[in-house]
Amino acid sequence: MAAEREVHDLEPEAFLDEVHSFEFWFQAVEGYLSGLTFGHRPATVEVPLGEDERQRLITVLCNYCVGETAALEGASGLIAVAPNRQAKIFLSTQVVDEGRHLEVLLHRMRELGVEDPEAEVERRASRSLRLFRQRLLDLVAGKDWEAAIFAQNVILESLEFAVFQGHAERADPVTREVLLGIVKDERRHIGFGENELGRRLQQAPHTRARLSEIRKELDHLVLDTLGETMQEIGAPDDERQRLGRSYLDCVRRLGFA
Amino acid sequence: MADFLSAYSIQSWLESCPQGYLEETEYGHAPGEHEPSEVLENQVLNEEAIRATVQLVVGERCALAASSGLINAAPDELSKTFLATQTLDEARHTEVFTQRLLDLGVKKKDLASVIAHHANPNLVKFAELLLEKVDKKDFVAGVVGQNIVLEGMAFSVFEMLHALNGAMNPKFAHTLSGTIADERRHVGFGENRIGSLIKEHPEKKPEIERMQKEMSYFMLATFADAFRNNPARAEYKRLEEELQRSGQRADYQGVDLATMEPEQMEEVLADTVLKEFKVRLGRIGIEYQTPVRP
Repeated sequence: MAAEREVHDLEPEAFLDEVHSFEFWFQAVEGYLSGLTFGHRPATVEVPLGEDERQRLITVLCNYCVGETAALEGASGLIAVAPNRQAKIFLSTQVVDEGRHLEVLLHRMRELGVEDPEAEVERRASRSLRLFRQRLLDLVAGKDWEAAIFAQNVILESLEFAVFQGHAERADPVTREVLLGIVKDERRHIGFGENELGRRLQQAPHTRARLSEIRKELDHLVLDTLGETMQEIGAPDDERQRLGRSYLDCVRRLGFA
Repeated sequence: MADFLSAYSIQSWLESCPQGYLEETEYGHAPGEHEPSEVLENQVLNEEAIRATVQLVVGERCALAASSGLINAAPDELSKTFLATQTLDEARHTEVFTQRLLDLGVKKKDLASVIAHHANPNLVKFAELLLEKVDKKDFVAGVVGQNIVLEGMAFSVFEMLHALNGAMNPKFAHTLSGTIADERRHVGFGENRIGSLIKEHPEKKPEIERMQKEMSYFMLATFADAFRNNPARAEYKRLEEELQRSGQRADYQGVDLATMEPEQMEEVLADTVLKEFKVRLGRIGIEYQTPVRP
């Protein structure tokens, strides 16, 4: 807490220098990744799952892998487009976070008995999420910094944040630890997106209209994905609605009502 | 392939790098270490340290752009996750060498202009050749250019700088130690992963060999600019003599750099890098092309 207060005492430029650095990332992840192997404590006991439950979990993990691959490819592609050194370095930390998420999720599938997780992802991944991934990569390829950061660090990360948190509440102990580790990273990524876009929207309000159009285009893909995933993990209707609202709240914070 | 690549997983990287040799460091060196007062106060040495560090920043920026750009072109998830760790390694190197410029007295507001002013044009050409392959999403040529040619060069340059600075500038030598450990991993990945891909795509060999020859020329030209007619020559000579008098050595590739003229150092470095290229390229089935000597 003391360190956090110190960071927030800094002038805006020095603050960004600090929180976008490798050093800051290093200190942040050291706390919660130390002692974990592939995202969970080695001593955490595996709870046996019924076959139906195992299959549903594998399908959900396949979709998470598509989301994390999209984020890995999106963040790495954005490094070339980033407007300054600090943003490039932050995105590099995000690249390794997303790579780690993909790695621990593929590893979790192997722990659940999937021999070839990559092939399983190809077979099971949801159409909405694949479309979202393609749209995100189009924005990155088009070097559209604001739109790509919005799609990736606000929309995709907010979706993952809401879904992983909701799933962790009802997941088996190993999956829960893996998901909670990911959620901690997502919080940092959302913060970067909000900060970066918040400043830009203040300086160029017309950008808001353009991003609103992108949001309209992507919202139904996000909400479809969220609904499909919640159904697979057996979440009741009211929880699906709560998570939908949680996602919309994240986007609203930037003024996209 | 999966078994070999598992040694390059993020889990292994976390254990060996952030939780291993970087633990308890600050910008790559021990907390509290500083640049020697002579490098800060002697204008000639300071200017030369800034010029040399700018080349490191330029090289690392190129490596960051290349490794991140190759992720989308990687043919499998394990290569993508390895390149994710390399991306962050390169970003860290960019950060620590940029921090060194600040430590050497460059003002933050002047960073961009100082880098633009000192960046060696031959090194920029070297980077452009590599980034052209990355822009085309040519994974095989990109990894050879990045993980064998660029990283091979960086590895040898860092080792030489480490030998020269070990006694005179422990702070900089410690920063270099971490980057050397990273580069070793990157070169290893390039050799191991690309060998099988070259076998699958033998038609790519001539283009890759041409790229290696051109990149090698610009690398040698950068070395020539750095060692010949160096304005800090007299100051370096004085420091080397002090080092000799105190009985210390600067061992690199079986020679004591403290006893050598800059042109001799250039020759040792160039020969070391080119010999390494030949061996590493041979291992992946690429025929080394002798570059023109500037």
